[in-house]
Amino acid sequence: MDITLFHIVGAGAISAAAGGLLGSFALLRRMALVGDALSHVALPGIALGLLFHFNPFVGSLAFLVFGTTLIWAVEHKTNLPVDTLVGVLFVLALAVGALLTPEHELLEALFGDISQLSATGFWVSLLLGGVIIVALLMLWRKLTLTMISSELSKSTGIRPHVVEFFFLTLFAFVVALGITFTGVLLIGALVIIPAAIARNIATSMGAYMFLSSLIGVLGAIGGILASYFFHIAPGPAFVILLGTLFFLSIIGKLR
Amino acid sequence: MSFLKVDNLSVLYGKESVLSDISFSLEKGETIAVIGPNGSGKTTLFRALLGTIPFTGEIRWGEKVKIGYVPQRLDLERNLPLTIQEFLLLHPLSTKQGSYSPNEVLGIVGLDPQFLEKSLGSLSAGQFQRALIAFALIAQPTILLFDEPTASIDIKGEETLYDLLHRLQDVHRFGMILISHDLTFVYRYADKVLCLNKKQLCFGIPQEVLTPQELERLYGTGGKFYHHIHGY
Repeated sequence: MDITLFHIVGAGAISAAAGGLLGSFALLRRMALVGDALSHVALPGIALGLLFHFNPFVGSLAFLVFGTTLIWAVEHKTNLPVDTLVGVLFVLALAVGALLTPEHELLEALFGDISQLSATGFWVSLLLGGVIIVALLMLWRKLTLTMISSELSKSTGIRPHVVEFFFLTLFAFVVALGITFTGVLLIGALVIIPAAIARNIATSMGAYMFLSSLIGVLGAIGGILASYFFHIAPGPAFVILLGTLFFLSIIGKLR
Repeated sequence: MSFLKVDNLSVLYGKESVLSDISFSLEKGETIAVIGPNGSGKTTLFRALLGTIPFTGEIRWGEKVKIGYVPQRLDLERNLPLTIQEFLLLHPLSTKQGSYSPNEVLGIVGLDPQFLEKSLGSLSAGQFQRALIAFALIAQPTILLFDEPTASIDIKGEETLYDLLHRLQDVHRFGMILISHDLTFVYRYADKVLCLNKKQLCFGIPQEVLTPQELERLYGTGGKFYHHIHGY
């Protein structure tokens, strides 16, 4: 199968839709920055994939699932300060990953390049993106309740720890999925910015979730087209486009 | 079998004991008021009952018990995009048979149906607390846990809220455990009172166990509460 601009836009759009939807919950729990730091843990996985000639996607996914499990375990099984530990460990992972990654591949790993998408990558994006979106839509009530109060959630018979574990696993999937698009350093933007914009506009949870995905998709299409016509990297183009929109939404809100 | 039976419940935060050796039970339709000074472990007791913190001892719920929980407050951002209707429907049992509709339950707590479309963050403190109560009631619980329901409701609203709870309790026969600072309420409505100050100082019928000596031992405030009760 030849990869065309159409395929690239499709893969970028579904990554951004999944990222935006997930982000709407991440922002409820004020875990935007934990998520951002978490994405750094993907880099050693990518590096190992490149060094030992297996698919870097598999490496990054394995490291991310390990990272999210670690966050969850530290939060629920120990009294250690989560933010500090996450901050230190995951920056450490970024440093180790940066040293391990072959130099000519480092830029792509850090900032992504979806224009290099393979046929396998396209189908994996479609499948994984679809799974993440369906899972989030099935879980949204439990997720929302758990994010706003784990005690209230528990009182209704939900098991908040289990819900949080699912959420973090989906977070790992989103990061692994989005990394080809925005790279390790900018992946936080895929999750945070669309939700942050939607939050400035929406007045209901339904609208918030929908707008967050939609803004992600529009940003992805815009970013990829900009990169195609102006020969710039698509990840940074996406971030700059949505970052600008975010500030416009703040101005709109203040007026 | 009791609705709830608690035996020798103790909670440690690190090495510090915040609750030790608490034992009580709740029967169907009964109201227990939990009283004690700030920091005496009242909210911790609720957390243990809900199972959100580790504890030692035993907490046994009766069969098919459905808990409704009204927290003291929720730490929400003002711009949280969540309507009251969406909030009420977050309850996993809200769509099951035998639950109230969002519309009905708002009526029960005295909020107009037009509030369904309002966002949770836009409510006043009193309205917000009513929304929390509506959430707790929506699945028609068999036990209601209330954490300081008077904390953010104005005096006029407070009367009707207690009357409302009492009326609902008469109809639905749910058991209720209520953290309260209001001894007037305790005397008027509670079947039993549990006095806490990290350990259990008393448990029994208010008129029997709330002696001036006991209250002084609990609060250490001289005759203040004693006069308050007799003023009522």
